[in-house]
Order: sequence, then structure tokens, then C-alpha cells
Amino acid sequence: MNPFSTPVENEVVITHEDVDRAHDRSRVATARARRGFSSKARLLWLLVGPGVLVMLGENDGPSMLSYAATGARFGIGFFIPFVALTFCMAIVVQEMTVRLGAATHRGHAELIFDRFGPFWGWFSMIDLGIGNFLTLITEFIAIRAGLGFFGIPPWAAVLLALVVLYAALMSHRYWTWERLTLAAAVFNLVFIPVALMTHPHWHAVGHAFITWHPLPGFNKDTLLIVLADIGATVTPWMLFFQQSATVDKGMTTKDIRFGRIDTVLGAALATAAAIATILATAPLFAHQMTADNFQAAEFAQALEPIIGRIGASLFALGMVEAGIVAAITISTSSAYAFGEVAHKPHSLNLPMGEGKSFYAVLTLCAVAAAAIVLIPGLPLVYVVLVVNVVAVLAMPPALVFLFMLVNDKEIMGDLVSPLWANLLSTAVVFVLTGAGVLFGISIIAPNIFAALGGK
Amino acid sequence: MKNDETLNLASNRTLVLSSLEHDQLANAKKHPIARRNLKGPELLVLWALRVYVLFMMTVVAYQVWIAAH
Repeated sequence: MNPFSTPVENEVVITHEDVDRAHDRSRVATARARRGFSSKARLLWLLVGPGVLVMLGENDGPSMLSYAATGARFGIGFFIPFVALTFCMAIVVQEMTVRLGAATHRGHAELIFDRFGPFWGWFSMIDLGIGNFLTLITEFIAIRAGLGFFGIPPWAAVLLALVVLYAALMSHRYWTWERLTLAAAVFNLVFIPVALMTHPHWHAVGHAFITWHPLPGFNKDTLLIVLADIGATVTPWMLFFQQSATVDKGMTTKDIRFGRIDTVLGAALATAAAIATILATAPLFAHQMTADNFQAAEFAQALEPIIGRIGASLFALGMVEAGIVAAITISTSSAYAFGEVAHKPHSLNLPMGEGKSFYAVLTLCAVAAAAIVLIPGLPLVYVVLVVNVVAVLAMPPALVFLFMLVNDKEIMGDLVSPLWANLLSTAVVFVLTGAGVLFGISIIAPNIFAALGGK
Repeated sequence: MKNDETLNLASNRTLVLSSLEHDQLANAKKHPIARRNLKGPELLVLWALRVYVLFMMTVVAYQVWIAAH
């Protein structure tokens, strides 16, 4: 049975979205038709995007803060290889969204709605919407804090971020939006020179990668950091965003190999930035300083005596970049999901007139989150950790639907997951679900962890 | 901005039909995909998900309540 209905030739109606996407696909077809290394490189350049954006987008304000807290609290040790492992888990999960998007040309929320019914469709959309909105708040907190390091007042910082977000949208063209956001996202690598300025103990880094030692003490605080680091790399919005972006970019089954390369490349860049952040704040651990009193910009202030004003400024700018890129991608993910479930036009190729609801959702989410950030007295660190933990808890349902969809032969045909991919993704689902349940136990019965030798 | 007349130029139509697969067209996506016929184990998974969601909401609500007090 073919669940897709195909329009006959004389029913075809051409839209702006189709014409723009066709231009992009035409360039891909031209590059693919040529031979040689330069043509392959051009093809990669044309097809790279959703994977790099999703991975660097997930290295967002809360994530970088979480990595900074990890470095300051635990130094160089277990968490260095652990973070690399979480990005490997992210690759396993995100690769499935590439296949789903390329094979079905439908977004994740749309597939859940159509294949499993309105209840799960709306549940997924609302679940994603709440999680995204909470996360957006923390992105603007990171932006405000990062720019606050340079003396920029909160209202100006938030306004600047909204202007950047809106400027990326103004082209009404997926390709332009993607390239502008990619250019901003690459700035995430600024944490690497910051790490180098701290003169990391490379022998200890190598030892940590090989032995996973020294291990942190097993207690509730450690568990929360572990969950936060998992939440920093694998979250529901990533599934929805990459699949929708793959569809909006117009990728087909012929592009899946490049979609995988795109995802692995993004994960490699994001891993480098994440580990660099841990290394950058590790000196705070060596100086017997704790993360308890630090927030996004305060990490930069704390590092200033160690790496100087330039290094601290780069660290603060990195936090700003992380917040801005994530604000762009996460608000876009919400707008995609709303359009898919409400069956409204949803594409970054839409002119404003045809995509009113899409752009309205995107803008409203960003503006509302930005406004909330201006409320004084928000408990920053707590909000950030809760957001990551909520994301971890919300992940299993999203993963189960992903798993069922990617093994749905009616929509995937021969692109259903092979056995090895199913084994890997099953293991990831178990790890993430286990992490969520452990967190639940730590909340309901914290004494259990105390009995095991923790606090 | 392109208007409807320029949109339906033969050159655009040719480009779109030669570059995009039929189910990539915006108009084709207005047709929903058929509902999946769920069987026993899949229904069980969905019920397990409902239980998990309730558990998750309880834990988060409890945590928020603790934080508020």
C-alpha cells in the first residue's frame, strides 16, 4: 500500500516555494552530473547545512554553560570522553531524521500527526513547543549575560539578538537563511582558541580519553550534570528541526550520503567546541573555584585573571553566538512543527504574504522569550539545568516515534533501518530513558543516592 | 517578489517539474499521508508512552513545586 497520494501532471500548481527549491535542486543536479574532486566538494558545499546547524545549534547557551560548569566542577577527566560519546549518540539519532526527511519529504511533526493520529501529533507539537519556549528563554539569558560582559544593557542585548534573528529571515529564502546561520554557527569554534589560551594539560586530556578517569563522585549533583550533558547533545527539537530543514532544503534519497556526512561533520565540530569549553573552564577547578557562583558571563569574568581580557571577551562572545544561533534554529523548529501539524504553509522559502502563520509563530516565540528575560530576578542556573533535564525527559517519546517511523516500510520503502542501526538506536533509547528514570528517582527519593555514598 | 503570472511561466514550470520530485511540491504536501494501522505491540508501546508521559509530568511538576517552596 502506498500511503502517499501523487498529483497527476495537469493538477500541478507551482508556488514560490517550489520555484526557489527547484533552483537549489538544479544547482545540486548540475554539481552531481560533473566529475572530479572539485565537483564533489561543491556538492558537499551545496548539501551541507541541516546537520551542521542542528549540532552547532544544540551547542547553545545552556549547553555551553553546562559544559563550563562541568569543567569548573570536575576539571579534566570522565566528562571529556563522556561528552564525545553523547555526540556519537546524537549522530545515531539525527541520521534517522535525514533518511526520514529525504524519503518522505515531510517533517517529523507532520509524520507523527498523519501516521499516529491527531492526539500524538498535537502532543508532540505542544511538548516541543513548551520545551522550545523554555529553551528560548535561556538562549536570551545567555545572550543578555554574554553581552553584559561588555557593558551592554539587557534591553539592548535582547533587541540586538532579535534584529539578527529577523535579518536572517528577511531573505525569505531557505538557502540564504541557511548560509547566514551557518556563518554565525561556525563562530561556536571560538571556544577552541579560548581553551588553548588556558594551556590545557594535554597529557591529562589524553589520559581522560583513554581511561575515562578520574571519575566524579557518584551523587545527585553528579547525576544532574550527567543528565544536563546528555540534554546538551540530544534533545527533541533537534529531531524536528533537522528533518524539517532536510525537507525544506529539498534533499532526496540521492542526498542521504551527504546528509550523513553533514551530520557527522556537525557533530565533530560541536564536540570540539564542547570539549574546548570544558578545557577552558578546567583551570577554575584547578584553582579550587566552584561553579556554584558562576553564570554565563561570570565564567568569562572568572577566567579573566587566567586568560586575560581578550580570552575572556572571546568566551563571552561565544556565549552570545551560542544563544543567537540556537534562538534562530529553535524558533524555526517551532514554526516548522506548528505549520506541519496545523497544515499551514511552512517553509523558509515562503514570501511573507504566503507564510504569515509560519513567520508569526517564529517571531512570537522569539519576542515572548526575549521579553521574559527582561524580568529581573530570574534564577538563571536553575532554569538552565531544568530546561536540559526537561529535554532529557521528553526525549524518549520523541525517540520512540522516530524509531517507529524510520522502520515504517510503507513510507520508507527500502530505506528502513537495517538491523545494526536498530540495535544502535535501541541502545540509545535505553540510555536516554534510563537517564530520565534515574533523574526521577533522584528527585523523588534523593536518599537512595546519599545511601550509595553521595551527598 | 514573483507574482502569479511570472510563477506560471513555462520556464519555471519546466524547472520545477524537472528538478523536484512530485511529492516535494508544496501542493502535494497538502494531502495527508494515510494513517498507520497499529498492531498489538505498537499499541502497547503507545500505552507505555502515555504512562511515561504522566510520570514525566509528575516529576517535573514536583520539582517545580519543590523549587517554589
